Amino acid sequence: MSDRCDEALANLYLYLDSELDRVSSDRIRAHLADCPPCDGVFRFEHRLKIVVRERLREEVPPHVIAKIRAALETAHETEI
Amino acid sequence: MADQADFERDAMQYAPQLYTAALRMARNPADAEDLVQETFLKAYRAYHTFQAGTNLKAWLYRILTNTYINKYRKESRRPSEVDLGELEDMYLYRRIGSEHSAASARSAEDAVLEGLVEADVKKAVESLPEVFRLPVLLADLEGFSYKEIAEILDIPIGTVMSRLHRGRKALQKALWEFAQRRGLLPDEVADE
Repeated sequence: MSDRCDEALANLYLYLDSELDRVSSDRIRAHLADCPPCDGVFRFEHRLKIVVRERLREEVPPHVIAKIRAALETAHETEI
Repeated sequence: MADQADFERDAMQYAPQLYTAALRMARNPADAEDLVQETFLKAYRAYHTFQAGTNLKAWLYRILTNTYINKYRKESRRPSEVDLGELEDMYLYRRIGSEHSAASARSAEDAVLEGLVEADVKKAVESLPEVFRLPVLLADLEGFSYKEIAEILDIPIGTVMSRLHRGRKALQKALWEFAQRRGLLPDEVADE
C-alpha cells in the first residue's frame, strides 16, 4: 500500500459519485491504471452501485399514474 | 415562477421514479401510492412557488421526503439513537476477498453481484434505518449529487457524506448476509 493507494481509497466514493474535480479524478484514474489491487476495489464498488440501482427499479402500476392524474384533475376543478 | 397549468406536463415524467423511491421509503405499496399521490398534490398546489428553470426533480423529491418524514415514518427521529456498530470500509469486497485466494476472488465477486436478486437488494435497502436509507436511495437510486441531497434532506453536506458512508457499509453487510444465506459463494468459503 503506497500513499497513492491511501489517497485513492480515501476518495473511492467521491470518485464513484462524480464529486471530485477533474484534476483529482484524473490522478485517481492514473493510479488505477498502474495499481491492479486498487483497480479491483474500484471496479467492484462501481459494479455494486449499478447492481443496487438496477435491482431497485420498479414498474409503476398504471393505476397509480391514473390515480395521480385524477387527483390533479380534481384539484384543478375545485380551484376554478 | 412556474405556471400551474404546465405542472402535469413538466412533473408527470418523474412519477415512475418517485413511486420507486416512495416504495423503498414507505416499504409497502399502499402507503407508497398514497405518498406519491400526496406529493403530486402538494407540488401542484405549490407550483407557483417553484422557480422555473431550477431543479424540478430535486424539488419534487424534497416534497416527497418531507411528506414521508412528517406523515409516514414510523421510526425514531433521533439519528444518534441509531447504532450500526463499527463496520469496516468496503465491507462486501473485503468479506469476499478475505475468504478467497486472489485467483478465485474475481469469480466469487461475480457470483455475488450476479446472484443477488431484486428481492435481496430491496430487502437490504429496506433494512437500513431511515436516516441512512434516505441518503442511500437519493444517491444510489436517483443519482443526486451530495449538494442536492443536502438540499432535499435539509442537512449539511458533511452529514450527507457521513450518513451515506455509514449507510452504504450497512447495506453491504446486509447484502453479504443475503449472499451467504443464498449460498452464492463457492464452497471453499461457505463454511465460515
